[in-house]
This record gives sequence, C-alpha cells and structure tokens, in this order.
Amino acid sequence: MQTFRAGFALPLEELRDEVDRLWTSLTAAPPLHGWSTEQPTGRFPAVTMRDCDDAVVIEAELPGLDVGDIDIAATADELTLKGTRPAAVAQTGNGEAATQEPANVTWLRRERGTGAFERRLSLPVAVDASRVEARLVDGVLTVTCPKAPESQPRRVAVRAAS
Amino acid sequence: MRSSMSPTVPQTPGQQAAGEPSLTYQPHVDICDTGGGLSIRADIPGANTDSIDVAFEDGVLAVHAKVRAREQPGRVLRQEYGIGDYRRSFRLGDGFDGAQITAEYRQGVLSIEVPRLAAVRPRKVAVRATHG
Repeated sequence: MQTFRAGFALPLEELRDEVDRLWTSLTAAPPLHGWSTEQPTGRFPAVTMRDCDDAVVIEAELPGLDVGDIDIAATADELTLKGTRPAAVAQTGNGEAATQEPANVTWLRRERGTGAFERRLSLPVAVDASRVEARLVDGVLTVTCPKAPESQPRRVAVRAAS
Repeated sequence: MRSSMSPTVPQTPGQQAAGEPSLTYQPHVDICDTGGGLSIRADIPGANTDSIDVAFEDGVLAVHAKVRAREQPGRVLRQEYGIGDYRRSFRLGDGFDGAQITAEYRQGVLSIEVPRLAAVRPRKVAVRATHG
C-alpha cells in the first residue's frame, strides 16, 4: 500500500492558511495589528514614552475611540492600555451611524483596523499608580504617570566651605 | 478609484520650518459606496478642525491636515510613531456633487460624505403591473 510521507500535506496546509488569510483580508476590516502572518504582538497602539523630571508621559494615537472604550491600568512599574475599536459601520444617508450595516453598501477600502487591543508597557522607574492621569484629545491619548517620590531626582545643595 | 502609495508611509520630507513637523503621512481610510454617494473615514489623530483642508477638484478629492508639533518635554525613551501632516487624495471620477460634500472631524477621525449627482444616483424603478 502506498502511503504519503508524513509532512507531505504541510505545504498544502500552509497554502490553504495563506489563501484563507488573503481571502479574509479582502472581505473584512483589518485587525489592529495589521495583516501579518505574525501573531499579534501587542504592539498596538504605537506609543511614545518620555521621561520628564517628575513624571513619565506616555502618548498613544487612538483615533475613533471614546473615553469609555479605553481601559487604563497602572501599577508601580507597568502601564496597561486596553480597549476595543468598534468595527466601522457604514453610515446611512442622514449621517446617523447605522447599528447594522446596510445591505447595499460596497466597501472600496478598509484599512482602518478594528478589534480588541491590549498593550503592556513596563515603566523605567517606579511611579505613583494612584496619581496616574489620562487625557484623550482628538484621538491622542496622553497618560501622565507621576514618579514615586523615591525615583524623583533629588536636588543636592552644595555648601560652600567657609 | 486610485490613491497613490501605501498608507502611513512617510511620503516626502516637507518644508522644514521651525517647530513644524517635517514629514507627511498617508492616513488609513475606510471608503464605502452607499449608492447615494461615498462615505469616507480617515484616521488623522492629533489634527485640528481648523487645519483640515478637504478639496474636490476635477474629480479628485484631496485631504490635507496640518498637524502642529505637540509639546514634548522630557527625554525620549520610546518613539514608535512620528508626527506630521496628513495628506491623501483619491480620484473619484465624474458623477459626484462637489458642492454637497460634507466633512466632520471627531475623536481623531475625519468623516467625509461625497454625494452623487442626483442625475447619476441609482434610482429604484417601480414596476407596474398591467392587466389585460
């Protein structure tokens, strides 16, 4: 009896997965981490992190999200940004967002990612988690994490020797 | 419909004025055809309603949003994206009513509605039954 060698079907399975992926990319909105073969690595949203004297400031671009869509959790050394960007829904003629996509809509482009995201950022210094503040303005999230007293720079007075 | 190049890729190094961002980015967009016209959503976080320019000329819809450099004090520890103007244009062709285009900016997303000219809108034709 003739049998197929183990592993023979693997390339076909890979091809099938690739075709599935391409097909999905034609018909659905892209996931937030983009269409890549890699697993979602938690790189959404992209951030900038800056070290100010008394705080660590993190900024992320989150267009289309409401304050209620974002969940921010802070510990002394880690900040977690979590949330969901709802799927784009075509608008009805009167400008009201329809709760369900009308049947007669043709998508010409779908580049804006949708779905859930979670990103953990380790902070370079200990922060005071109870005083973390966040603002969302025009799709830009700014999280200010005040440094814990022990990690703030201390000014050392130099005494002049008389 | 055509638009040039892939999105979010820094395009051209623009004019480098003091305090002005030097890069231009292509925003990600969703476009859908609702029959009565096109509905466009573009992600342009950090822009300002007054600095967004939407123009429709010769069948080309052009979006340009000036983004002011944000105040960024302190030492940079991590920088995963750049800040710059957004610019993208779309060749829509004929049959759209440029005078009726509306645009709205909310939560970093620009929504543009481009209605078709009434003459080219798909019309539902009622079929009458004739007896006899």
